[in-house]
Amino acid sequence: MTDGTGATGTREGPVLETAGLTKQFGELLAVDSVDLAVERGEFRSVIGPNGAGKTTLFNCITGAMTPTSGTVRFDGEDVTDLPPHERVRRGLGRSFQITNIFGGLTVRENVRLAAQSVLDDDMTVREEMLRDKETFDHINDRTTGVLEQVGLADRAEELAETLAYGDQRRLEIGIVLATDPELVLLDEPTAGMSSEETRATIDLIEDVLADRTLMLIEHDIDLVMEVSDRVTVLTRGEVLATGDPAEIAADEDVREAYLGGVRA
Amino acid sequence: MSAVANAAEQLLNGVTLGMVYVLLAAGLSIIFGVMDVINFSHGELFALGAYFALSLVDPLGANLGFPVALVVAPLAVGVVGVAIERFTVRPLYGRNPLYHILLTFGLVLIINDVIRFTWGQQQQQLAVPAVLSQPVGAFGVRVAVYNLFMIAIAALLAAGTWLALNRTRYGMVVRAGSQDREMVRNVGIDIDRYYTLVFGFGAALAAVGGIVLGGYQNVNPNMGGSVIIPAFIIVVLGGLGSFRGAVFGGLLVGVVQTLTRTYLPVLEGLTVFLLMIAVLLLKPQGLFGNPEWGGGGDEEGELLVGAYGGVFAAGTRRRLGVLAVAGLAVFPVVATVTDNGFYVTLANTMLVWALFALSLDFVMGSAGLVSLGHAMFFGVGAYAGALALLHLAPSFLVALLAAVLVPAALAWVVGSLSIRVSGVYFAMITLAFAELVYSAVFKVEFTGGSDGLLGFDALLGLAGVGPRLSEIELTVAGVTVGSSVVFYYVALALAVGTLLVARRFMNAPFGSVLQSIGESDERAAFVGYDVTRYKRRAFVISGAIAGLAGGLLAVNPDTFVISPDQTLHWINSGEVIVMTLLGGMGTLFGPMIGAGVFIGAEDILSSHTEQWRMIIGAVFVVFVLFVPRGLVSVPALLARRLGSDEGDPPLGVEDREVNADD
Repeated sequence: MTDGTGATGTREGPVLETAGLTKQFGELLAVDSVDLAVERGEFRSVIGPNGAGKTTLFNCITGAMTPTSGTVRFDGEDVTDLPPHERVRRGLGRSFQITNIFGGLTVRENVRLAAQSVLDDDMTVREEMLRDKETFDHINDRTTGVLEQVGLADRAEELAETLAYGDQRRLEIGIVLATDPELVLLDEPTAGMSSEETRATIDLIEDVLADRTLMLIEHDIDLVMEVSDRVTVLTRGEVLATGDPAEIAADEDVREAYLGGVRA
Repeated sequence: MSAVANAAEQLLNGVTLGMVYVLLAAGLSIIFGVMDVINFSHGELFALGAYFALSLVDPLGANLGFPVALVVAPLAVGVVGVAIERFTVRPLYGRNPLYHILLTFGLVLIINDVIRFTWGQQQQQLAVPAVLSQPVGAFGVRVAVYNLFMIAIAALLAAGTWLALNRTRYGMVVRAGSQDREMVRNVGIDIDRYYTLVFGFGAALAAVGGIVLGGYQNVNPNMGGSVIIPAFIIVVLGGLGSFRGAVFGGLLVGVVQTLTRTYLPVLEGLTVFLLMIAVLLLKPQGLFGNPEWGGGGDEEGELLVGAYGGVFAAGTRRRLGVLAVAGLAVFPVVATVTDNGFYVTLANTMLVWALFALSLDFVMGSAGLVSLGHAMFFGVGAYAGALALLHLAPSFLVALLAAVLVPAALAWVVGSLSIRVSGVYFAMITLAFAELVYSAVFKVEFTGGSDGLLGFDALLGLAGVGPRLSEIELTVAGVTVGSSVVFYYVALALAVGTLLVARRFMNAPFGSVLQSIGESDERAAFVGYDVTRYKRRAFVISGAIAGLAGGLLAVNPDTFVISPDQTLHWINSGEVIVMTLLGGMGTLFGPMIGAGVFIGAEDILSSHTEQWRMIIGAVFVVFVLFVPRGLVSVPALLARRLGSDEGDPPLGVEDREVNADD
């Protein structure tokens, strides 16, 4: 296909597959035998009422939590038992529900660290320990490029914690982008934003992450229907339905789940 | 038959001791769980209870005085606890528990000095009513009534505390607070109001423990220091914030300690630490701790590094650095010429501790690893150096090499095991490892036991060739300098060299990852870094530097003995944390300044007054409250004061705003 930007976009089959993925907290089945298959380049949204297990599902996919049972396959490889940092290096990036940046570091350093992480393979121990971190050209280039893409180039030297909330979320997307992921999991990237900010952020995501596979948790159903290729609906940890937006909109079960949720 | 009776007696003694621990640990654990405060002064409050009782029993006599003391003294200590919480601990909520260590460490020094000043240094007997001191026996087991009395009192109080925690609204709030403070706040309860009473109540419980133990054994100024470490072990063993854990852990430790002393004297002092390490490795949240809270370390308060303090431009700073090193380089010459040679010896101690402080800052200031057991690397370095001099070759190079390699290896092992837990648990498990090493060195013949190692001497050269470091005299331009000066230059070169290398590490990709880990473990992992590997490597480097400092202590010609108390005692771990914070964490050079100031202040104060510890303690308290970023931030603070006369928010308020999220 394309050469991508380092993404391994050539292999066959779904980029992400889960089989019987289950996470249990005591009595509670937060994620219950979830089977997913996300195709390369797809924009998949995960929706569902609060407590449906969306974030837990993401946590199992990214390695933040170990599933009770089931498997996660990424790019054909079983990654169920890999720690998060190994998954990131294989091309699985994520952003968090709560803004999660390195607040005490500059905006530039936030992005540089992410770029360094995936570009440090050919670094010798000597370089890693002793060479000035600012002197690696390929890392600096990636950093500068990402900062421009997310529109933070002119704020690069500010401390990340001093950014406005919306800019912090942009920075977070920038951090994910800098790790050059094949698949990006975005956990409510627009949480707490006004509708204009939400719009702008989704546009940014569609713009800078266009050639990646995306999984998005989002509450704004209209927006989801507009931007997604396919939508998965979770309730009580189980997949209620998966399909393109039109199918989901027409699905009786989905309507009932949402309307039922309102009534209860 | 008599063996069984003996075992029963020992078991009873163990339970008796265990009940004292329960009283101590219950308060400590609740304070820990609810407020995140590592209260080192808890042991001194325990001792204070015993001393208050002493003062009541003396005039009133044992029969009247003891029961009165049992009620009045804990109340008085409770009031002291309330005052401590209101005036010193309260301003620090929301900051990293590290600041509580510094603060309560200062309080330890103050209270302990007050005790020594008021009641004297010697141990004293706390008279108990005659009826309690008789023995009773049954089935061939003989036991003092007092044991049973102690057990009864402690059990009564523990039961009362349990009821208060579980059956009152007040207790509900406290318990909820120990699980999720934010949630309690969110439902509209002002939990801060509850803290004061919890602290006071914990102090009072500790005081009861001190009184009953005082009557059982004796009352002495060291009693607080000797119970605080076991008490921490119990709290961590049982699970932070868990009352059940404190009770179970207290009894367990009391029994294990007593039985080991009787039946396995070889392991005396070791079993408890081994127990704790094993528990933490298998169940990081402790026996009764809840895995969902505490261990994660994600809601920890922020560490205030000194880095933001810079008012000087980079060029100015570099010039200041060069100027400082130049000043240090000519210092011994000036000192010798002006006949102040003694100050070179003092400066040598400062340099050793400056390196030690640098080693701690390397992991604490960057990756946020608060090691409470760093004295183990310092001490093992000193021992490795001295042993190399004694058994390998009397060369200072060989000694220093051993002093770097052995602690580095130890740091790899300890780091690999400890890094699995984070935050307060990491601090505690490193403390346990350090105490384990301390106890082991104390017992082993090879290391000279409690006396330490003597009779080693370093040569300035390799493989037994070269002059003895302690006999060197050089005459340059009519000025004769001794071995202290030679050592001074070796130490200075190593200190400056290590600082420069450490700075390179920090400015390299490796250091940038450490800083990101210090900001957020989780984010660093999700950017793609193997957090454990980076932490471990940093820990090994830190251990090596601490070992180098210890090795320098060993080859210092003014050092004649390397003893466990001088090198491996937990006080050293506490002091080096104090120095690091005093100077300004996260700057590498700041802690070195802090070490110099600390050693200098200690020396000056101790030569002028008996109560120097009290003054140093008071300085810590003031410092942590008002200058949390350390000495290196003072220029910036002054600049700000002078620049804008008013309108500046109080430091604490502003600092709290900096706290990233939640």
